[in-house]
Amino acid sequence: MNSEQRKEIQELVEILTEQNLNEIEVQRGDVRIRIRRESTATVSVPAPSSTESGQVPETLTDSGEKDSSRFLTVTSPVVGTFYRSSSPDVESYVEEGDLVSRGQVLCIVEAMKLMNEIESEVDGRVVKVMVENEAGVEYGQPLFVIDPLP
Amino acid sequence: MFKKILIANRGEIALRIIRACRELGIKTVAVFSEVDAHSLFVRHADESVCIGPADSALSYLNIPNVLSAAEITGADAIHPGYGFLAENAHFAEVCESIGITFIGPTSEHIALLGDKSKARETMLRHGIPVMPGSEGELRNLDHAVQVAGELGYPVMVKASAGGGGRGLRVVSREAELGRAILSAQVEARTGFAHDGVYLEKYFPEPRHVEIQVLADEHGHVVHLGERDCSIQRRYQKLVEESPSPVVDDSLRREMGNVALKVVKAVQYRNAGTVEFLLDQNRKFYFMEINARIQVEHPVTEMVTGIDLIKEQIRVAAGMPLRFRQKDIQLHGHSIECRINAECPETFVPSPGVVSRFHVPGGAGIRVDTALEAMDQVHPHYDSMIAKVIAHGQDRADALSRAQRALDEFAVEGIKTTIPLQRLILRDPDFQKGGVSTNFLDRLLAGRML
Repeated sequence: MNSEQRKEIQELVEILTEQNLNEIEVQRGDVRIRIRRESTATVSVPAPSSTESGQVPETLTDSGEKDSSRFLTVTSPVVGTFYRSSSPDVESYVEEGDLVSRGQVLCIVEAMKLMNEIESEVDGRVVKVMVENEAGVEYGQPLFVIDPLP
Repeated sequence: MFKKILIANRGEIALRIIRACRELGIKTVAVFSEVDAHSLFVRHADESVCIGPADSALSYLNIPNVLSAAEITGADAIHPGYGFLAENAHFAEVCESIGITFIGPTSEHIALLGDKSKARETMLRHGIPVMPGSEGELRNLDHAVQVAGELGYPVMVKASAGGGGRGLRVVSREAELGRAILSAQVEARTGFAHDGVYLEKYFPEPRHVEIQVLADEHGHVVHLGERDCSIQRRYQKLVEESPSPVVDDSLRREMGNVALKVVKAVQYRNAGTVEFLLDQNRKFYFMEINARIQVEHPVTEMVTGIDLIKEQIRVAAGMPLRFRQKDIQLHGHSIECRINAECPETFVPSPGVVSRFHVPGGAGIRVDTALEAMDQVHPHYDSMIAKVIAHGQDRADALSRAQRALDEFAVEGIKTTIPLQRLILRDPDFQKGGVSTNFLDRLLAGRML
């Protein structure tokens, strides 16, 4: 994952938001990017319950008014294996929609038996978890999208 | 045999290794820095992993990231290419310890051969002719005078920690010796924080001739003839050829046998190069072993028909060499011109976007490059962008093909050393063959591009 691909994903997130889509999938050669919303909070769908709508910030559906450029992408600083929890039998550090504070651990990237705890750099809400648990991640790969609190 | 090889390198050598793997039916993993994401070598690999930003200290030299990339992709071997981690004993050792095969010599070999004075001592013990010089560093001026007298003037004062020509003085008379030692020491102290110096015999017209060797785990060693790399600028090779214009069959046999003795002395494994200085009287002296595949390996491949990268992979997988010394024959002549993204007059690097890139072809021409039009040549890495390798029935044939190929090669948007390479190939002394390592300095002093 590089800055260009990151930018591409950012743009896809914007399209998703603007067009009120639930899912976008783009394939080019060997690379396939799929961006999906967990929430059903779109205009075409019956009003979601408050908890569901909480999974995606309201601003995501306010198409056109606010762009997603303020979202922060948390990227992997190392190459390794992505873990959402400290061990298989405990809960994930964070879920989509969770509020996180600056310095809070979001995940672990294990590299050469070293557990690198990845922390949030801001107070905000987790918009998206970009990687499956236990997947390999490369340097600079987006792990989370965070909507920083104003 | 390996199932998946990670290539811990970039550019032309990464692509060269990927090509060998594909022909062997082995999957490949390219690792790359952020600025190399769209490079040809990344696209040709089966998988790729970004290992860091442009700065190679944080990417191509980042051992944890390279090894993690091997881990998450399930690679069972790593080919380091040349440069970067190729001669890093620590890296080879970590690979060994986590069960990933390092395609090259063992970490002990790399450590031993990287220590020049230790390597020299080992060779002396085994009766290998080494560069005549003082045993270790000079103790005082009396010691220096005595050693220089034994060697015979001119002699060279060299800083132990020196490199790239710094801390180096040529002395032709005893009266000059003391002052030369002092000034070499001052230069070494400021440049390398260690002012130990030693003496070596000075050769006025040396030739750089090296022997390619291959050694397997089963005790088989062969040499694949020599490469003449006398066309150098500040110890950077620009043109290499095989066979050497100054080496005949009997000298080749002699140098080859010494090279094999060197390899056996240290029980070396995989591909390596034994470098010799060859003087005007056909006497040769061991300089060092390069414990890696070398940039100029294609000229040996062209004349022997042996794919050195594939042999490296086979040997690393524990397979025995499939040929013996008697099977090795040199056919025709091959010459390689390194094309650098540099100003051909000032040698200042010339990074930028390559707006046009037309690679020569035709009979007897091979071009190893990973560059294409609209690519960016980055200032972070080595400036070599391509190698033009010509093969012909004899030296004249190979030279004319190389000249023709350089004329065809069109690169726009950046400056390259193509004009300099054309000047070298046109030079009457070079065409005659057998020039020394002083050739290029003389050419540059009197040239008109």
